[in-house]
Amino acid sequence: MLISKRKQWIVQSITYIVLIGFSFYCLFPFLWMVVTSLKPDNEIRTLTPSFLIQHPTIEHFINVLTGSSFLTFFKNSVYVSLVVTAASLIISIFAGYALSRFVRFRGVKLFGVAMLLSQMIPGVLLLIPLYLTMKELHLINTYNSLILAYTTFTVPLCTFMMKGFFDSIPIDMEESAEIDGCTRVGTIFRILLPVSLPSLVSTSMFGFLNSWNEFMFGFVFINDEQHRTLTPGIYLFKGLYQTDWGSMMASSVLSVLPVVIMFLFLQRFLVEGMTAGAVKG
Amino acid sequence: MLTLREKRIRLVAYYFVLPAFAFFLLLNAYPLITVVWDSFQFKNMLNATQTGFAHLANYREVLSNEYFLTALRNTIIWTLLSVTGEYILGLSSAIALNQPIRGRTLFRGIIIIPWVVPIVIAGMTWTWMLAPDYGVINYWLIQLGVIDKPYYWLGEMNTALFTIVFVNIWRSFPFFTISLLAGLQTVSKEVMEAAAIDGAGIRVRFFYIVLPQLKTISLTLIFVHLIWTAINFDFIWIMTQGGPLYSSETLPIQIYRYAMEDYNFGNASALSSMMLGVMMTAFIMYYVINSRKSKN
Repeated sequence: MLISKRKQWIVQSITYIVLIGFSFYCLFPFLWMVVTSLKPDNEIRTLTPSFLIQHPTIEHFINVLTGSSFLTFFKNSVYVSLVVTAASLIISIFAGYALSRFVRFRGVKLFGVAMLLSQMIPGVLLLIPLYLTMKELHLINTYNSLILAYTTFTVPLCTFMMKGFFDSIPIDMEESAEIDGCTRVGTIFRILLPVSLPSLVSTSMFGFLNSWNEFMFGFVFINDEQHRTLTPGIYLFKGLYQTDWGSMMASSVLSVLPVVIMFLFLQRFLVEGMTAGAVKG
Repeated sequence: MLTLREKRIRLVAYYFVLPAFAFFLLLNAYPLITVVWDSFQFKNMLNATQTGFAHLANYREVLSNEYFLTALRNTIIWTLLSVTGEYILGLSSAIALNQPIRGRTLFRGIIIIPWVVPIVIAGMTWTWMLAPDYGVINYWLIQLGVIDKPYYWLGEMNTALFTIVFVNIWRSFPFFTISLLAGLQTVSKEVMEAAAIDGAGIRVRFFYIVLPQLKTISLTLIFVHLIWTAINFDFIWIMTQGGPLYSSETLPIQIYRYAMEDYNFGNASALSSMMLGVMMTAFIMYYVINSRKSKN
């Protein structure tokens, strides 16, 4: 026993109070978002706002889904994020493997420093040259501009996450595979990846979240409705529906929900992955 | 001398890092060099008559902008306050989550949620809640008697920046929570018990055993977040666009304005280069200190 029974009880009560407080703080904006999206306009514009909805309605959702480009934005975001996730995953599996196993080579070590450094380079500083480069390559208003930019900014952290996982896998497993005549790439795919499935999940989630949530490049690189992604799309809604907070919140609910649901199912992996790769590595 | 086998392995290693490195060169290193290069050129899309080498003209212009010092001050306030708040909330929530209680996973899931939300949506939702006329926060504050009439938090010069800091802390502290929680879980139970038997109270155990073990993680987290916060563009742009009257304008917002509103890429690059210089210096110092420490 570290502390007496009575003290333990006090500590536990404080813990619960603190956690409930935090939960309220974290959840409240969501609940408010959901509640607002389900309220009719006259309940939204009231001087005495409350959590209770007198006449729930889905008119804002219908409005967003049928009367705006929301679905196009959504589809674009899904496409861009999936491609970025796949690309970053493949690139960082190999890079992470090299950083984990071959760091004795000077080139690889240098690469590690470069990756570390690139995590420190802020997007906004690169905005202009990247914008000009994309313009020269005629990539403005294409998905490819976003895919290239997002992949670049996602790869370093994914690489470190993968490195962290590979570090935790004993090297003997690979050696026996090599003796059995497996190639290096074969070893990675047949031996290492199956055992590090949780880490693949967390790394992909990280990549997906990163590109799903990104705003600035989507805002600057894309200015046609057809290719716009969700976050700039929603931001520009604000002007479109100057005072229509119901529709704003409905579109927010629709774009947060898939991510939150995915996250709730996979959060264990994400937490493990972030801590193993990003912080300890 | 490397053996043949080693040489072959080295080749494999280089092939493995090649794709990632290509991305780095093309979309990090090359643009980075362009930024520095452009900062010494006249490059104004609206005034294309002036071209060529500019010496330090861009830097002079940027530094003499009447809002440069405001933006610099705002950036420092924004960064320091945000990171301090994030650390305090992150540490306290991590400690609470590390207690052996029921429903830990549920609480953890809830606490991490803000971090999953896109900044745009977080910013918009809070803007709505903070609205002066129909916002729920003003309504509650009035009910509680804290204020006596609705206050336009994002629209007043003296509160705009602090309000965004508050929202930024809300969104970013969960990252601290996860990382610090991981750190707390590595603190050995035996050591804690031994200390308790030797008569160390909760406070002593916390300050002399737990905190020192969190030191590395904390320093890394704080350092990375100082940079990430200083360069954050989205939050401020979405909530106030730097207003009212530049009261929440930070350096990244100013860079954006130079580039995308004035089309003065020279000035934007000069400001970027200065920020970059400061950050690189910080990074190198951090790296040197870190590697010296690990050698000891």
